[in-house]
Amino acid sequence: MYNLHLSPEQLQIRDTVRDFVAEVIKPLALKPERLEARVRPLLVEALDQAAEMGLRTLALSEEQGGAGADNLTCCIVTEEFAAGDPDVAAVLAQTSTLAQALFDRLMTAEQRARFLPPFLAEQRYHLALAEHEADRHAALGINYHRPQASGAPFKTTAVRAGDGWVVSGSKDGVVGASLATLFVVRASVGEGGVATLLVPRDTPGLSVTETETATRTRHGACGAVAFDDCRVPAENFLGAESPLAADAGRHIPQDQALNLGIGRAAYEAALDYAQLRTQGGRPIIEHQAIGAKLAEIAIRLEVARAAIWQAAWASDHPDAFADRSLPDLPLATIAAVFASEAIYRAAKDAAECFGAMGVMRDMPLQQYVHDALVCLHSGAGNTDAKLRIAEALARYRRPASAVVLAAE
Amino acid sequence: MDFTLSNEQRSWQMTARKFAEEEIRPISLERDEIADPRETFDWEIIKKGSKLGFRTLAVPKEWGGHGTDFVTQALVMAELAKADSAISKTFSQCWKWSHLIAAACSEEQKRRFLKPFLEDDTFLLGKGISEPSAGSDNRLPPDDPKAGLKLRAERHGDEWILNGEKCFIANASVGKLFFIDARTDPNAPLRQGTTMFLVPRDTPGFRIGKVFNKDGWRFYQNGEMIFENARVPHANVVGPVNGSDMKTHQAGDRTGGDLFGDLELAANALGVCDDACGMALALARTKKQGGRVLFEQQAVQLKLNRMHLLTEALRSFVMRVAWEHDHKVHSANAGLAMNFSTDVIQEVTELNLDLHADAGVFDRRADKLVRDAIIWSHLAGDSVQRMKATRRLAR
Repeated sequence: MYNLHLSPEQLQIRDTVRDFVAEVIKPLALKPERLEARVRPLLVEALDQAAEMGLRTLALSEEQGGAGADNLTCCIVTEEFAAGDPDVAAVLAQTSTLAQALFDRLMTAEQRARFLPPFLAEQRYHLALAEHEADRHAALGINYHRPQASGAPFKTTAVRAGDGWVVSGSKDGVVGASLATLFVVRASVGEGGVATLLVPRDTPGLSVTETETATRTRHGACGAVAFDDCRVPAENFLGAESPLAADAGRHIPQDQALNLGIGRAAYEAALDYAQLRTQGGRPIIEHQAIGAKLAEIAIRLEVARAAIWQAAWASDHPDAFADRSLPDLPLATIAAVFASEAIYRAAKDAAECFGAMGVMRDMPLQQYVHDALVCLHSGAGNTDAKLRIAEALARYRRPASAVVLAAE
Repeated sequence: MDFTLSNEQRSWQMTARKFAEEEIRPISLERDEIADPRETFDWEIIKKGSKLGFRTLAVPKEWGGHGTDFVTQALVMAELAKADSAISKTFSQCWKWSHLIAAACSEEQKRRFLKPFLEDDTFLLGKGISEPSAGSDNRLPPDDPKAGLKLRAERHGDEWILNGEKCFIANASVGKLFFIDARTDPNAPLRQGTTMFLVPRDTPGFRIGKVFNKDGWRFYQNGEMIFENARVPHANVVGPVNGSDMKTHQAGDRTGGDLFGDLELAANALGVCDDACGMALALARTKKQGGRVLFEQQAVQLKLNRMHLLTEALRSFVMRVAWEHDHKVHSANAGLAMNFSTDVIQEVTELNLDLHADAGVFDRRADKLVRDAIIWSHLAGDSVQRMKATRRLAR
């Protein structure tokens, strides 16, 4: 049964994280000099504290040493962190999600024995996914409703060499790049194959370049990773396809929960200010124009939350699609499109309540607008997302022979 | 209706276009990306533009200016803004207040202030209204005398002593002469208790505080003004004492201040939209996906369609308002066009950024245009500005 009655554990973890964000993260994140900086370094100490609280291993099963939280709980936690600092939220979410995928599902027992103990022992041990590449156009575009014409999926290559692999190429927009200890690297093998390899940060030939905050296209994506003939031992091969995430469109809507946290921070700031700021002889919230605007912001955030939580619950209960409790739709993609548009609008409206203060770099509002804009354009974008939803509506299945067709 | 431009209008437009493309555009992004808000400004571009007449465009011919009509002013603002919205605004801010000098200053004041303004390529103008606790209250003043600006001016013989502060004042850190609204009767409502003063930059007791670090319009300086027993001669009072709002109310056909300001923001937005449309179209025609240009995709065409239809609608509205100003037709249209320009500039620049992001391109200029457009929210399109325009309809 679809049930939004949060469990006592969920309420407790939400309140714990909310308090931590208010007491530790917000005072750091909202310093004017940090807001104004072109590069906002990760709040590493706050990340460490969050790790101590078990939030780095939130999704990892209890058997493997984590908290075994379900997807909805992970989304609730990500929203709370993002209300304080989206980069902290993104890095924690990614490490937690990857830990669950790697240690609970994908690694061999031998790999787990090598990687899990140091991961659990070192609170600053983070995991990063090196997948995205700079000039690879991932959007569906001309391939809508057509077999995808693509050769090798990545420019980064993994080539067998003796008793191992040699990885060459570069990745950008890597969440947590500046501090990750272990990279999960996706690379092309031969014509159309893909290999997923585990590449420790200290591998010779691996280098990380930090990205300016202003030009980031994803939250937490603090760097690019280059592989200059990196030799990776054969035993670090994770698999050929390695489904890191669930079926497209039904993944955990954690990026959307992050987006929601940004919107909520903007909303809360506007709500506070509207009760403090007096113009026209009364607090501005008592003017219809501002009252109605705040109501619209609240409407957008609540409807976005409903869509995100439904998608999160659905990812915890995939059987609910099979028994027709849920519509056969890519609910996470639907939530992503709605939430990103609604929350960008909400953040702009919240900033407008502040007048000129809303556009100043030493004030948080312009930061929320910018952060919401990053969410609006993350991944392949909403135009692509809508086309993917449309393909799902039409039950379009891209033929497996697409690669062969494209090569002809 | 005849939208044909006269030879003079066309000539100004072409001069502005050339200057914008050859001089402004090459420095636009680099000035925007300077982190320190005090360092984004560039006097060289102001001097070059001033020599071409872009600083003094709106001063009447009998006073030695160019005496251009509003249609020309709108054309020039849009052309300059197409290369850089904030640089265009720095020039037109001078027109805004030269309209006010022409409309409201005495002959003696015009002699004293217009002459140096015309002669000095670095002479910029500004006006101080907003204060930390008075923003919307200055635009839609309630009757309560406690509401609205608080900067106090008290008369001592032939001098007025000013105390208080202003914030968010355009050109504060670079201007040489400012119109300052100050409270001369604290017991009267704002409009009946405020007087306008001409305050030169070197007035004793007057200094500039912080320069604000805006996320958009970064070239355009915006700062705090601090008055500590600043001494202003009585001869610098503009209009009657306790009559500062004359510029908007008894203004007759004098389209200084608000009327020009409304057209100004709409015309500037038009230039930014032209730039965004040009960028988006160029991207769509050159960037390829799977061997075919993006333009071939329906989703791309629909976005380009939306951008262009909004931009062309704004152009029609801007030119109509400029024409109405020239023909002394009074209506709420200038305010409505300004409100509309907020919706248009934001949607058009966002679509441009969207098209670039969809194509996997992080374009710094596309990002800049969105940041510049956000400025319209509080200057041209907030609910107070919309209600202010609406109230003209009921007048």
